[in-house]
Amino acid sequence: MDTVARFEIGFTRYLSAQGTASPDLPPFARDPAALLPLYRAMVLTRQFDLKAIAMQRTGQIGTFASALGQEAIGVGVASAMLPDDVLVPSYRDHAAQFVRGVTMTESLLYWGGDERGSGFAAAPHDFGNCVPIGTQVGHGAGVAYAFQLRGQPRVAVTIVGDGGTSKGDFYEGMNMAGAWHVPLVIVVNNNQWAISMPRSKQTAAQTLAQKAIAAGIPGEQVDGNDVIAVRHRVGEAIDRARAGGGPTLIEAVTYRLGDHTTADDASRYRDEATVKAAWAQEPIVRLRDYLAAQGAWDPGREEALIRECQQAVAAAVDAYLALPPPDTGAMFDCLYATLPAALEAQREMARQYQTTPPGAHHG
Amino acid sequence: MRTFKLPDLGEGLQEAEIVAWHVKPGDSVAADEPLLSVETAKAIVEIPSPFSGQVAKLFAQPGDIVHLGAPLVGFEGVGSAQDDAGTVVGAVKVGTQVLAEAAAPLGPGGAHGIKATPAVRALARKLSVDLAMVTPSGHDGLITATDVQRVATTLADLGPAEVVRGVRRAMAQNMARAQSEVAAATVMDDADLHAWQQDAGPGNDITIRLVRALVAGVHAEPGLNAWYEGQSGRRHVLERIDVGIAADLPEGLFVPVLRNVGKRDAADLRTGLDRMRADIVARTIAPEEMRGNTITLSNFGMIAGRYAAPIVVPPTVAILGAGRIRDEVVAAGGQPAVHRVMPLSLTFDHRVVTGGEAARFLRAVIADLERPA
Amino acid sequence: MAELHLVEAVNLALAHALAHDPDVVLLGEDIGVNGGVFRATVGLQARFGEARVIDTPLAEGGIVGAAIGMAAMGLKPVAEIQFAGFIYPAIDNILNHAGHMRHRTRGRLGCPMVVRAPSGAGIHAPEHHSESPEAMFAHMPGIRVVMPSSPARAYGLLLAAIRDPDPVIFLEPTRLYRLFRQEVPDDGEALPLDACFTLRDGADLTLVSWGAMLQEALAAADQLADEGIGAAVIDVATLKPLDMDTILESVARSGRCVIVHEAPRTAGLGAEIAANLADAGLYSLSAPVQRVTGYDTVVPLARLEHSYLPSVARIVDAARRALAA
Repeated sequence: MDTVARFEIGFTRYLSAQGTASPDLPPFARDPAALLPLYRAMVLTRQFDLKAIAMQRTGQIGTFASALGQEAIGVGVASAMLPDDVLVPSYRDHAAQFVRGVTMTESLLYWGGDERGSGFAAAPHDFGNCVPIGTQVGHGAGVAYAFQLRGQPRVAVTIVGDGGTSKGDFYEGMNMAGAWHVPLVIVVNNNQWAISMPRSKQTAAQTLAQKAIAAGIPGEQVDGNDVIAVRHRVGEAIDRARAGGGPTLIEAVTYRLGDHTTADDASRYRDEATVKAAWAQEPIVRLRDYLAAQGAWDPGREEALIRECQQAVAAAVDAYLALPPPDTGAMFDCLYATLPAALEAQREMARQYQTTPPGAHHG
Repeated sequence: MRTFKLPDLGEGLQEAEIVAWHVKPGDSVAADEPLLSVETAKAIVEIPSPFSGQVAKLFAQPGDIVHLGAPLVGFEGVGSAQDDAGTVVGAVKVGTQVLAEAAAPLGPGGAHGIKATPAVRALARKLSVDLAMVTPSGHDGLITATDVQRVATTLADLGPAEVVRGVRRAMAQNMARAQSEVAAATVMDDADLHAWQQDAGPGNDITIRLVRALVAGVHAEPGLNAWYEGQSGRRHVLERIDVGIAADLPEGLFVPVLRNVGKRDAADLRTGLDRMRADIVARTIAPEEMRGNTITLSNFGMIAGRYAAPIVVPPTVAILGAGRIRDEVVAAGGQPAVHRVMPLSLTFDHRVVTGGEAARFLRAVIADLERPA
Repeated sequence: MAELHLVEAVNLALAHALAHDPDVVLLGEDIGVNGGVFRATVGLQARFGEARVIDTPLAEGGIVGAAIGMAAMGLKPVAEIQFAGFIYPAIDNILNHAGHMRHRTRGRLGCPMVVRAPSGAGIHAPEHHSESPEAMFAHMPGIRVVMPSSPARAYGLLLAAIRDPDPVIFLEPTRLYRLFRQEVPDDGEALPLDACFTLRDGADLTLVSWGAMLQEALAAADQLADEGIGAAVIDVATLKPLDMDTILESVARSGRCVIVHEAPRTAGLGAEIAANLADAGLYSLSAPVQRVTGYDTVVPLARLEHSYLPSVARIVDAARRALAA
């Protein structure tokens, strides 16, 4: 039998878990000061995340999907995008969304149960959170097609989880993107868990990146806890797409340090020793250690940053809590461009029978 | 076991080092009692117990660094139902109510009803026509607008109808119900009274003789002194005989009950009967006196009538009707003779009384009536 | 002015839309080089190019997903699903995304997408090619469901659907694709959505139908007319949102309604119309509303198909029942 095709999957890491950098850092990362915005963005995401969990526990928002431990992926991806590019996220991508200009208040509104949370005043073309797993990849392919058709130098970037790569929608979207050669970058957030399903049981494939081979597009892995690697490799893929080089799939390998959502209890299905070991790999500490070793960071600045982030988070929380719930008729607003006459009676009924939820705070 | 995890300590702190435990496995701890001390980057912090319970397990040792959300303490006996939110989104409310539901009847209830379209019903309402009074002429028993109009015209000629109230209303309801439930059958015969002695005292009062004969019938066939509940198919054969005696008054039909007639003598019965009559006429009779009869007597013969098929009202299963006593030519000893004869009609609920039982009951009634006194 | 088959009228409308609006793109399996398996898109790729008339990989869910992405960026994609029986993989995207997009983003993103599919039985096709899923889609918030019954209405309603800023499921009755011709001016005039078309007036009975069954409904009306019974015939056309005003007005005159659809009876749109009649038209009714529908069974293959579809005889008998009461 002749061999008609082989594949190789590359892996990129620049920053080790211990905070030491490889000698061949990409150009943007050579000056540590250039990494400070990435560091700040990750810390802000973490602060928001912890606050959101606490708010769920106190009934101020509903179910929340934490991105604990995966901050480098969202920050790295979004910081490689231009403003006119479009993000087509999953539902665990607030790290990327904040860099894109989605406000923390909008995120709280979304998880707090208010559609205005997807209003994205500062990211008008980005898709909202996507709950039907993997369907965002097909959307991303369509978005990228629109850019290509119009001859616009814009790129669509979609993020999907390890579980999502088992979905038909993932393959269909990736396959179409490859067949059409459109400017789409697919980032797989492989955090090792799809609720309780470990990565090893999700697929027999050795890597998720190699699923790109099936669609005929480049696929590679990066250390998802290394924001430099994520930023660099995703940036390269975006540049290539923007230049007409077609789609790429990048698997960012990380670990889901939190529960699947605030209603999940991961201790039911995974042992704490593994989670503890994973903490040692986490993205924020390794960058902090590196920056400190480069003299670009110190405890005083850390303290100041934490304080600043907390103030920003607190302000966002206040803004969220201060916003009254929408009018009951909002259920019907924006259902169509113009509400059909047949639905006006229903809207009236909804207004007439409106109630406040028992024990209502916000959301 | 319920697991308590390291909570948000505030100030963005994500980890803490265990300094000291204040509890050990097996200890009972109350809510807010200190569980352990941890050291953060800032300070040593006491962590209180979030609830009361018994400590089952400690997940970390002094010197360990634990991260936010890591398990600290396992509690016993807090109710395993709370251990697990049992969902991955939202909040599924846990209630403690235990549902106790009587078995609901299955299947359709059985449709009757008047068939008329909404438009026709509205017309009937407008014309004050009771649809129950309208004979349908439409397809498949449908009342048409024309039918309603016809009845309206007829009623207009008649003038306003009176509303049936009070005793008459009760009679209407009871009889309608009886008719729909009971499988009525009637057996008729005559009692030859020629042996009755004249002037035999209160014992020969016709009503009292009938009550006595009824008792004889019940002794022969106790099954006719019973209550039957059709829906559940249950029957109580009753020892005590409480006779409902149909009484006709200007206001309508009353059925006062003469209690325990099987154990009372003729004079006692007569006294009771007279008192009952007086109370009815004076309208001072208590409602309880008109309830709970186990069998019924209708002496319509005091007015007129020979044989009848009177209505058995549930839960009773039998009613004896006595017609007008008449002189009749009978065959006595092979020769024609004129005897006093009382016609008798026994209507029974054939759901629960057989023809044989009814016939034997009637035979005993007749035998008793034909005695001289 | 050309006399066109329904499928040609679809082609004409698509061509008009492509020619006058650069944001319109078509996508689907075999629609480009092959012109679509029913030739609905014949000639369009040659005229407008591969970039705007896209031959897609085989992936119904993905096709609609990509269309959603395109629509969110302001294109006006018209996705073809080769048969309504194959549309089900796309229901996730249609319900969860197309129907939700405007609502969940508070109007920031919309979904001006059309999904076209040949629908309905009667062409002796193999399994799964005879579906009538309109009731399923009518149950989904945020979308429209349209079914034309003639070449002229196919042209006008498809243009309206393409121009509408909200998602439209456009179900084309396969049986009518080439059954008869009609004059269709290529004037770019859209017909109104959300409105019934009264094809025939009548005061004795109201026949309500859509799609291919209008053929049988009209034939039944003819037969009743021979007996002196005037039956109005209403083409619902937009199945969601329903124009009940037109139907109610007709029933107010006739008092009797027969609804005809080939989709299965239970939870078909006949039930929705009947419920609305019971709600808002009860006092006009002189007889129970009749539904003449496909049976609650799998659409049989060719040898029994003719017995499945509501016949003129079934419709006439239902009309008689309504008139007898």
